[in-house]
Amino acid sequence: MEHDDDRELSRRVADAYPRVGPADASAKLRLMERLRRESQPRAESPQPIPFLVWRPATAALATAASLLVGTVLGWYLHDRMGRQAPASELSPSIAEVPTTREVRLVQFVLSAPKASQVTVVGDFNQWDPAATPMVRREGGAWTAAIPVAPGRHVYAFIVDGDRWVADPAAPMAPEDGFGIRNSVIVVGGTEST
Amino acid sequence: MTDAELVARTCAGEVEAFGRLVDRYYDDCTRFARRMLGNRDDAEDALQEAFVHAYRGLPRYQERDAFRGWLYRIVVNECRRLAARRWRSERHMVRDQDVLERVASREENGRELHDELQSSLERLEPMLREAFLLKYGEELDYEEMARMTGASVSALKMRVKRARDRLRPMLEREGEADGAR
Repeated sequence: MEHDDDRELSRRVADAYPRVGPADASAKLRLMERLRRESQPRAESPQPIPFLVWRPATAALATAASLLVGTVLGWYLHDRMGRQAPASELSPSIAEVPTTREVRLVQFVLSAPKASQVTVVGDFNQWDPAATPMVRREGGAWTAAIPVAPGRHVYAFIVDGDRWVADPAAPMAPEDGFGIRNSVIVVGGTEST
Repeated sequence: MTDAELVARTCAGEVEAFGRLVDRYYDDCTRFARRMLGNRDDAEDALQEAFVHAYRGLPRYQERDAFRGWLYRIVVNECRRLAARRWRSERHMVRDQDVLERVASREENGRELHDELQSSLERLEPMLREAFLLKYGEELDYEEMARMTGASVSALKMRVKRARDRLRPMLEREGEADGAR
């Protein structure tokens, strides 16, 4: 049953909400001008942006794929660098290799076989989508190795320019208040939230 | 002419048919986007992108779904992306969380909604604001909201409740302040 206070709130919102005026007529004209320059929509047109919702089955598959890729790359780096990072330092999709005492090289990996472009963004590159494009590897894994200072860092992947994807195999940062979850890496230590 | 007929004509190459869908829905979408984002410029950016995405994605529209709901899903998503991007950039300019919370609204960038509802809405986390606006502003039911947002019905109910609990005292204070002026 609706509380009296809720009815009052509903009434006030219903009264105030439409006070936003109509759109600027020039905005519609600009939109139509832009659409007239577009080619006709075709069946193979890109799908409208899907929501970033991890359904359990998808998440499990993605995690499994990411674990596999991360493990393979971890061993690859072990062979190449002569050291495998301790499990406590290694998120399944991140391989961390020491470089200097101050900065470490971190290999980010995302399995996204259908993506045409993936970048990694985080506080280490000022969330700049253009700063760290990832390279597609055989099998659909995307990788990027970048130097990261020791400490706790929050990051995410951007797939095809507009989809923000948390690393399914890394610890999650607290929700950012907008339903978007980022991932956490602790360089040179372990995450304890 | 129904929405589905206009979609079919657009897909057959008649871009002006999409113009009629724009005329039909752009103002409603503007209302949501401006309440959600708090200013005219951001709202227009979000809507321009949303309608272009909708146009390109029309062949994937299924007639069994209401066009309005399908379009709103794209608009909601575009508002989310824009707000998240703005939030990220602001977060890195102002790191002090207390300062961030006090700076609940931006005065620059074409913000022109000064009513008490808007000033209260802008103190809500965007996720709560979005759920509240869809429920109380657009008067959608939870099933529709779930289809639009990708969130579960129970999560949406919780968000609306939290938004209501936060807004009620804020609006009361705003009302008292107005009365005292």
